[in-house]
Amino acid sequence: MSEKILKEWIERFKEAREIRRRYANWDFIRSQPPKIRIALEYYVETGDFRTAAKMSNMSVDEFIEIAKESANIPTVD
Amino acid sequence: MASAIADTSFLIDWIRYSKSRLIFRLFEVIYIPESVLTEIRSERSLTWIAEGLEEGGLAIFPELPDISREALNLVARSRRLPIRPVDYPEAFCLVAGRRLDLTVLTENGGAIALASYDPEYSNVKILRGIDILYLLWRSGLINSFKDELEIYQQETKHIYSRRDLDRYREHLK
Repeated sequence: MSEKILKEWIERFKEAREIRRRYANWDFIRSQPPKIRIALEYYVETGDFRTAAKMSNMSVDEFIEIAKESANIPTVD
Repeated sequence: MASAIADTSFLIDWIRYSKSRLIFRLFEVIYIPESVLTEIRSERSLTWIAEGLEEGGLAIFPELPDISREALNLVARSRRLPIRPVDYPEAFCLVAGRRLDLTVLTENGGAIALASYDPEYSNVKILRGIDILYLLWRSGLINSFKDELEIYQQETKHIYSRRDLDRYREHLK
C-alpha cells in the first residue's frame, strides 16, 4: 500500500472518530453498567461495532440500536 | 440487472430507512451470507429480511468453504496494516463479490479501505448507502437526491463525512 493511501485512510478513520466523539451522549454512556459503558466507549474510539457488541453481550444490531438511539453515536466510516 | 451481496454494516443502517424496500428495484437479487444473518437478531431487521426472502428480493448465500478460506486469509492480511482491518463477514462479501461479479453493499470502512489498497480487490464494485440513494435518484425512484440523503441520515443516524459528500458535490447543490 502506498504511503499516500495509508495516510488518507488514517485521516478518514480519525475524522470518523471525531464525529462519533462529538455526537455521543456522554452522560448516558457514563451512566451505564461497566460492560455496556466500556463497549460504547470502545465503539466511539474504533467504530468496531462487532467487538463492541461482543463486549456488551448483545447481538450486533441490538448493540447498534442502543448506540444510535440512546447513546446518540452515529455510524460513520 | 446486477445482483449484490450485503454485509451487516450495510443492512443495520439501510433497514432503518423508510424507503429501504426501493433497493429491490435496483438489483435482481441481494444475497445475505449466512455469517451476516447469524449476527442479526432484532425484530425490525429480521422482519425486513424475512419479507425480502419471501418476495424473492433477498436470498441466503451459503457458507462455501473456498470463499470462506480466502476470506479468512483476507482478514489476516488486513490485520497487518495500521488501519482498520476487515472482519470475516465483510471479507466473505468481498471475496464472493470478486469471484461471482456481485456488487458488494457495505458501510464498513475496513472493507472500503481494502478495495482501495489491495489490487486483487480493486475491481470489486462497492456501493454504500449514499451510492444507492444516488442510483435510486438517477433511476427516478426518488425525487431529490439531496433531500433524500438528508432524510436517510436522520432516519438511520448514519453521518457521511465531508470526503464522502464531496464525491457527489455536483448533485448536492
